[in-house]
Amino acid sequence: MPQKTPESASPSRALALAACALALGAPLLSGWAGMAAGAGAAGCVLYGRWKWAKLVRQGKAQRDALRDRLLQSQKLAAIGEVAAGIAHEINNPLAVITQETEWMEHLLAPPLPMSEQTYSAVRQGLKDVQAQVNRCADITHSLLSLARNWTPILQPVDLNTLAEDMAKLVELEARQRNVTLDRRYAPDLPEALLDPPLMRQAILNLLVNALHAVEGGGVISMATAPGPEGGCILRVADTGPGIPEQNISRIFDPFFTTKAPGKGTGLGLAITHRIIDRLGGTITAESPPGKGAVFTISLPPTPAKEPQP
Amino acid sequence: MDKAKVLVVDDERDLNETLVKRLKRRGYETQSAFDGLEALAVLAGEPFDVIVLDVKMPGMDGIETLREIKKRHPRIEVLLLTGHASVESGVQGMSMGANDYLIKPVEIEDLLKAINQAYERKRLATENA
Repeated sequence: MPQKTPESASPSRALALAACALALGAPLLSGWAGMAAGAGAAGCVLYGRWKWAKLVRQGKAQRDALRDRLLQSQKLAAIGEVAAGIAHEINNPLAVITQETEWMEHLLAPPLPMSEQTYSAVRQGLKDVQAQVNRCADITHSLLSLARNWTPILQPVDLNTLAEDMAKLVELEARQRNVTLDRRYAPDLPEALLDPPLMRQAILNLLVNALHAVEGGGVISMATAPGPEGGCILRVADTGPGIPEQNISRIFDPFFTTKAPGKGTGLGLAITHRIIDRLGGTITAESPPGKGAVFTISLPPTPAKEPQP
Repeated sequence: MDKAKVLVVDDERDLNETLVKRLKRRGYETQSAFDGLEALAVLAGEPFDVIVLDVKMPGMDGIETLREIKKRHPRIEVLLLTGHASVESGVQGMSMGANDYLIKPVEIEDLLKAINQAYERKRLATENA
């Protein structure tokens, strides 16, 4: 705007310039222009100011509206993805249930009494239906645990022991799959205040995730370390293919999965994220090129009693 | 500190009875159940604090039993115990609200620690409610 400053201005030119400059938001000019243009210009200056303020207001409103629309469409997209995930996970059991009930209906068609063979086939059918219903119940249960604002029950624990419990659980299967489970526990780890079963679930999910990543053999390393200001850090790294850059921001989204259908619901990491969040900690995922994936949990020294949802 | 009332659910009679005896000797009020259905029947009759539940049982297995227990008595803490660790049952069990997953053979001291921690959690949960 300064390039518009005139060397020797006639009143009319000054007036026009002043209005123009003000409309463009050059407050420095206003004093000078006011003096040069006199009283006639003052009205115009005021008009310019008003006009400018109005433009700014309109601009802001437009920007806010656009931002709201963007947020809204992002929200809808996220809901859409979750809905698709739920639909997919529930549809498979529903298909099996439909098949089973049709089959049982066929079996139970007269004449009666039924043979022993039919009887046991129907019983098996009911069992299969029950299994599918349980599968659906597990999914809704997991979804609820994502949605609910449950309060963790905090107990002082040794994070190393807790991590080792879960490592033992995974170890046998890891060995069978030619995967080494390397553990490095810091001996000087401060006692952590956390919800033990939830933390176990979070660690187990990370280990299972790593186990799936190194399909065909590799190394999973789990390590603990003292964190800043008396907190604790737990890291799970694997030598798998890593996470593509475009996926890393979505890795904790519910139902986001790169696994084949039927292999994991895509809720494990979302639940882990939720648990760590409720414990007042943070979890991050990194994937340095060619080096697999690294998940880092950082727990605060004394988790806030009521972490924000 | 008073001690947890414990129900041991395991189809292997010898293991079950030995564990119950050892827990009783340490001052824990303890009882046996030899399958999932029996466990549910016992729980319907009287309250327990902590359940030590075998994962691999004929008929209603540990995971099914856990599901039913958590449905009917959500506050009871369940420790899963298994001779053969399976990741799938571990993930299922922990996400269904099991407190811990222990691998046999488990040192009695470790089991007691787990029982005490689970019991403490149940008490804290009741206080918070």
